[in-house]
Amino acid sequence: MEDNVLHLDIWPGEWDLPSVDPNCLAALAYCRFSGVPVKIRKSCNPWNSPNGTFPVMTYKNVTETKVGNIFTYLRKQNWGIDSSLSRKECADVVAFSAMIDEVIQPAVLHLLWIDNDHYSNITGPWFTRHAVLPYKFVVSGRAHKEAKRKVFESQGTDNVTAADVETKIYKDAKDCLSNISQKLGDKNYFFGDQPCSLDALVFSYVAPLLKAPLNSNQLTNHLRIHCENLCFHTRRILREFFPLTAEEMAEKQKEEERKKAADSESKEGKIRNRDMLIAGAFALTAMTLYAFSSGLVNVKIFDAVDVEDNLLDA
Amino acid sequence: MLMEAVKIEMGATERWPDNVKLYQQYQAEQITFPDYAASLSVKTFLYMCGLEFSTVPKINAEEMSPSGRVPFIHIGPFLVSEFEPIVAYVQTRGFGLNDDLTDVQKSELKAYIKLIGSTLVNAELYLSWLVPEVYEKVTKARYGAMYAWPLNCILPYQKFLSVQKQLAASEWKNKTFAEVCEEVETCCQALNDRLGTQNFFFGKKPTELDALVFGHISTLLTTDLPRNEFADIIRRYDNLLVFLKRIDAEYFDALRNSY
Repeated sequence: MEDNVLHLDIWPGEWDLPSVDPNCLAALAYCRFSGVPVKIRKSCNPWNSPNGTFPVMTYKNVTETKVGNIFTYLRKQNWGIDSSLSRKECADVVAFSAMIDEVIQPAVLHLLWIDNDHYSNITGPWFTRHAVLPYKFVVSGRAHKEAKRKVFESQGTDNVTAADVETKIYKDAKDCLSNISQKLGDKNYFFGDQPCSLDALVFSYVAPLLKAPLNSNQLTNHLRIHCENLCFHTRRILREFFPLTAEEMAEKQKEEERKKAADSESKEGKIRNRDMLIAGAFALTAMTLYAFSSGLVNVKIFDAVDVEDNLLDA
Repeated sequence: MLMEAVKIEMGATERWPDNVKLYQQYQAEQITFPDYAASLSVKTFLYMCGLEFSTVPKINAEEMSPSGRVPFIHIGPFLVSEFEPIVAYVQTRGFGLNDDLTDVQKSELKAYIKLIGSTLVNAELYLSWLVPEVYEKVTKARYGAMYAWPLNCILPYQKFLSVQKQLAASEWKNKTFAEVCEEVETCCQALNDRLGTQNFFFGKKPTELDALVFGHISTLLTTDLPRNEFADIIRRYDNLLVFLKRIDAEYFDALRNSY
């Protein structure tokens, strides 16, 4: 491993996203924004990760796994993207980041990992399909448990029921999205024309909400209806910082071709079936005709009266 | 329908009855400083709104509270606990401090309130319950102060477990003390820079954020503990210190004189 290049290991992407995991997205976006010389490895084998999941950032001897720590570390290495901001703007970044971690994170975790439909049909199966053995059997269950712990236990006391907590986190998250949307206004990025760490964080939570094949849910609906500027913001980042590479383009095309091929195959199949039916029917008629004409099958027609006479004679 | 019901309710009762009570534990002997900070924030907020209330000390205030946390206020038929719900409730009664703010400022206000909630509150809990020196010498004794043996050992331990669980969920439990100090420093730096040389966080008038910051920072600064790292950090930020003095003079001096 070369020494002076930063390595970032992330879960691979799907649904037109560079990675499926919000934390990976945040780390990745920060690296892209800051132009750090980074080597990204999309991996499905968290063997080397200290906490069994991604993202993992390694640089020289340092290994970081938490988004906040990765941001701080990069900032300390002078790879920050917030250095052009004024002190007041930096303070705003700190405050809004705290709000996102506190309010949006639980709601997104709940939506992706606790909500039964999504956990058993989308996120769970995705990780089971992609992760290597033996992680296949562990990763999604662990993420589900972890999410439950984060969502319910941080709310503290026993006096509140799970249903109360759910109502509260979704309501708070919607308010929070509106607040963020207010702050963004009609600017391209939160503080001017250059994205900062807050943009990375917002992107990492909003993008999965918009792009993942989720069922109709309150958060996505709220985003689409009340926070259009956040949707534009996410699309802008995807377009400008995550254009598809030649390989990905090729892969996507292949995928599409495969889909088309599958489609046309099914059409051909129908035609083949029809042909077989016609041929079968033709062969059957031909054989029956031959059987009759060559005398293999003999059909005699008696007169009913003759039969009666014969019987009487007997 | 709902609006009408609220209107009828508002018409029937006074906007702010005389017998509003704020419940907390006994201040001198019992209350732990995270709870004291929360309580002080609410009181400051009510003073800023110019609303009358009386403080009622109760040994079991924590068990009385609907959410299990102090402080809570008793107003008419309602019990409302914790800072944010109380602020929201007082606003529905027609008293608010943030009416003059623009929408963007309101969202910034929310963000800073969450910053305090996720940083300073967790740091306070960490310091009082997970730092062995402070837990053994101060927190345990105070939390169990009003109970006889063996309750004075069992209850603090139960609370210790629940705080531990809560901090584990928000990923604070495994932090080292140095990391916690760093978080506090980042938070204070942000508050200091945001405040600048203004009188209050959003210009000339106080908001609920000012009450919250005052409650937490002044508690951390003035509480005498075996570990004073947090107070040392705060002392480095001049804007915050001036701000504390200003609020203290404006809202608490008058109070002291009136006794």
